[in-house]
Amino acid sequence: MRQTTLSVALEVKPESYDHLSSLLDKLREKRSADPSGGTGPFADFLTRVPAVHFMSLSVYPGFDYDPLFVIEANFDGAPGPFWGQLESAIGPELRSMLRCCKRPLDNDGPLFDSIAAPDARAPIAPYLERRSLTPTVFHHGNRGMTRDRILAEHKLFEATRVELRCANHEGPNPYRVLTPRQIHAKLRAAVHPDFAWLDQPPPTRIPLAENIGDWVRLISFIVAAVFVLSIPGLFLSLAMPWERYLILLVVVFIGIAMLLKRIGVALPGTEIATKFSFLKFFFSQLVPLLLFVAGYLVVAVAIGTPLSMLATARNFDAAWHGMVTWLLWGLAGAPVVIAGIVLWLRVIERRDASQDAPPVDPVMLREMARREDWIPQNHMGSLVLIKPGILRMILIRAGHRLLGLVLRIQARSGYLGSMRTIHFAHWAMVNNKSRLMFFSNFDQTWESYLDDFIEKAHAGLTLAWCCGVGFPPTRFLVKDGASHGRQFKEWARHSMTVSRFWYSAYKDLTAEQIERNFRIAIGLRKRTLSDKDAALWINDL
Amino acid sequence: MDQRPVSAAPQKGPPSWKLAPPHDTLTQGMVVSGFVSLPTGRALFLEFAWDGVQKKDGGAWLKAVQDVAPITDADGKDARAAGIGLTWEGMRKMGLDASTLASFDRPFKEGMFQEDRLRRLGDRREDEWLSTVIPGGPKWSGNTPTDDKWCGMADAHAFDDLEKVVETQVKTPITVHALLLLYEKDEETAEAWCRTVGDALAPHQVKIVHGLPLDLRPDPRGIAREHFGFADGVSQPAPFESKVVTVRDGSDYPKDYWNGVPLGEVLMGHENGHHEIALGPVVATSEAGAKAGLLPHPRGEGFLDLGLDGSYMVVRELKQDVAAFWNSMDAASARINRRDPEHSGHITADWIASRVIGRDLDGNLLCPNSKTGVLPVDKYDQPDNDFLFYDRDKLGHGCPLGSHVRRGNPRDGLAPKPSDKQTLLDAANNHRILRRGRKYGPDILDKRVDDGKERGLLFICLNTDITRQFEFVQQTWMLNPNFAFLYDEVDPLLGPKGMLTIPEKPLRRIIEVDTFVQMAGGEYFFLPSMPAIRYLASL
Repeated sequence: MRQTTLSVALEVKPESYDHLSSLLDKLREKRSADPSGGTGPFADFLTRVPAVHFMSLSVYPGFDYDPLFVIEANFDGAPGPFWGQLESAIGPELRSMLRCCKRPLDNDGPLFDSIAAPDARAPIAPYLERRSLTPTVFHHGNRGMTRDRILAEHKLFEATRVELRCANHEGPNPYRVLTPRQIHAKLRAAVHPDFAWLDQPPPTRIPLAENIGDWVRLISFIVAAVFVLSIPGLFLSLAMPWERYLILLVVVFIGIAMLLKRIGVALPGTEIATKFSFLKFFFSQLVPLLLFVAGYLVVAVAIGTPLSMLATARNFDAAWHGMVTWLLWGLAGAPVVIAGIVLWLRVIERRDASQDAPPVDPVMLREMARREDWIPQNHMGSLVLIKPGILRMILIRAGHRLLGLVLRIQARSGYLGSMRTIHFAHWAMVNNKSRLMFFSNFDQTWESYLDDFIEKAHAGLTLAWCCGVGFPPTRFLVKDGASHGRQFKEWARHSMTVSRFWYSAYKDLTAEQIERNFRIAIGLRKRTLSDKDAALWINDL
Repeated sequence: MDQRPVSAAPQKGPPSWKLAPPHDTLTQGMVVSGFVSLPTGRALFLEFAWDGVQKKDGGAWLKAVQDVAPITDADGKDARAAGIGLTWEGMRKMGLDASTLASFDRPFKEGMFQEDRLRRLGDRREDEWLSTVIPGGPKWSGNTPTDDKWCGMADAHAFDDLEKVVETQVKTPITVHALLLLYEKDEETAEAWCRTVGDALAPHQVKIVHGLPLDLRPDPRGIAREHFGFADGVSQPAPFESKVVTVRDGSDYPKDYWNGVPLGEVLMGHENGHHEIALGPVVATSEAGAKAGLLPHPRGEGFLDLGLDGSYMVVRELKQDVAAFWNSMDAASARINRRDPEHSGHITADWIASRVIGRDLDGNLLCPNSKTGVLPVDKYDQPDNDFLFYDRDKLGHGCPLGSHVRRGNPRDGLAPKPSDKQTLLDAANNHRILRRGRKYGPDILDKRVDDGKERGLLFICLNTDITRQFEFVQQTWMLNPNFAFLYDEVDPLLGPKGMLTIPEKPLRRIIEVDTFVQMAGGEYFFLPSMPAIRYLASL
């Protein structure tokens, strides 16, 4: 089943900022009361909102804008049923929170009145659904795993541990004299009565339609991008003889390259050696890139030829031939356009102001520390202003779109670079796209999470976040940036708010453990394993 | 000056590192040396017994210390040695001004016993001390006061009905404001020296409120053992910085591939592993500061660098229960022998204990596919420390994934695939600590019978970013229940009673281990540079 990640960001009446914060604190304290199913804190939430994986409610204080109330939700299936479940679980509480928010000035005003008026009883779910934001980028660490499956497979894992430890309790442990294959068979027989679902085929984590969708979206994006980049070339090549066009391209390209060579180096004191190299990256992606360009040609010729025949009344051969030539000339201009964009970007980057010592509010910091590190998972929510300018606006939207599409293909295993510590994370733009919001539900501590990025995935993180005002000095969107360890961490802390209400449906499970349980379950679903497979499978027990 | 100070005698190890002038005379000697040639030591925990903050002469006691126990610098061997560290509250009482106190790093200002920090360090949760702390709670700490502006919240404002949470002040019976470490050749001289120091401090209302006899006696091979019987301090980070860290002939100390860390990981004012200058405290320019030899701060106009060549010293008194350790090992091996009579002939208490540590008793790393079961000694006849985990022992069939040494420094072992090995090794080296601890208390006669005597390790480590180094090691590696894809088990040596997975073919073993090590006190100290000591003494 597909997982959905979304957020709802609502402006808060400044007078209600503290009151809303206290409502969130109270909801947090209420979570353990009256567990109607299961045991422990949040138990009732677990049964009453069966779709939810992770959820947070937080308020960002107002510095540049009025305070912002954000509901972040990660759940199984479509939004409709989820909002319904949530309303039945904490409807009255949510309604009093919504009353702290401003009435929207757009067409949603009447809808807001219908739920927030003093005696209002209309369901709030439609309003939340209406105000939901779609993430610009999101990442799922255990893609395609429903919450119930995660919980069930963990129960199975625990049952295997008990069986392996306690079999024939008083005498020798029978498992110690078996071969891997026999261990698998015996273990399966022992746990099978309690886990009848082992006989069913495992649900596909990424169904074919979703898989195809991921690829189609990525390919369409790149084909469209290639087209946009070749537009200047398409026009210019019509306007001038081909020899002059060619000379122009070469001259402009050399000019830009020379300028880039001069200003491409890091500003004094901001360079950080990295293993990331554009040339290496370019060559490693050369084959897919050529394939994409070829794909673009095919699509563009297929669409362009009939149009051209229609417009110019040429026959098919002439139209086809002319179209290919024209598109190739357009493509020849694309590298120059890209070089121009890079030059423009670099000029802007050199003038960017970075914040060396972002102020961190000690009260907020203490409130965050008070809520962190109780369980192996933690939560962070951050909100930053987006740097101004038309190029930034285009780059951040196109960049996030591309990053999001690539992650759906590249990060299916849950790994970002060399780490798999994120359960659900997403970026979204708020306040009319002037601010960028980031939420993450991750394993281990905040410090280790950020250190992981600084030390292992600084290029990707810099790409996604360098559009934030005050971000450490960055080169070409990916270099330096987040490698400035302490400066980056302070910047991130400075942008964060207190996660006043945060819920995790499986608080002891890391993303790695969920995958480990998955591998064990996959093995146990099979009636027999070969010796070789069993020997590998057994490493996870 | 020895690179592997705690266990390796200087003439035996590989070329050692030292600091080049002028840093050698600006830095405390204990940064570069564990003083192996001085086997006896004393840790004197000092309390400033005066009321409130000293308006003047707050540094008089430090001057008195300098007369009877001059703090050793790093420019060569001395007949005896001394080191000193101060807590935040101690310096406040000495009269250090508020803006200087505010310029220290957050963890140091809050102290080790801030309630959220204690939870992260695995000592205390929801107002209860955990089983890894001595019964009744620790004896000593800095008793750093909670900051009122954090718990009371700054100013009242309109429309505020948010409930204020008051932070709990965690207090210990003994308050420590400074730690004086003395190193001597023998017991008698050390005892006499302590008396001299006590007499010199008494007129200044500075009391010795707690003391530990420290001990470091390497065997002829240069191996020093902690109370459980294992070689200690085998692996240390090796700092490098061109023209500052050198070998004996003055040339640069090369970057060690396995254990090299930038000098800024150990000393403030130098470039650290995150490509930044390690932050230290600053003090407004003054005559006293200039006279003490403090240099101008590179960024803050009008300020002197109080941190340059100083460090933060993490101290934890860890009580060891030797009999409990070995009895637990006996019980675990007996259980395995009973449950697996056919394939467990080789499993003894020593075998299990080595798996808990990850090295054998002599400090050699356990490894698979080796005749002896351990890594051969290096060319200096020392336990080899130049190794990685991924290629040798990815699954932990030799050195278990959850063993103490692997949690203490996973090297490249956490890499998910071969191409990530270098990244993971580099990342791991950003979380190293320079250890300077020594054991205290008498050796046990029979390691399986409790004699009721107090013994343990005074854990001391140096680092410049407490959060990224010491706390990271403790929280993300040592006490992380999911370290290296394990589930529900923490460090078998330092952690509470729990499980340890020992990977084996065909099927892993999971043993139960007890609590053997309990924290009896701890605090974060500022390890000032020599000029900073002179400045503090001038207060």
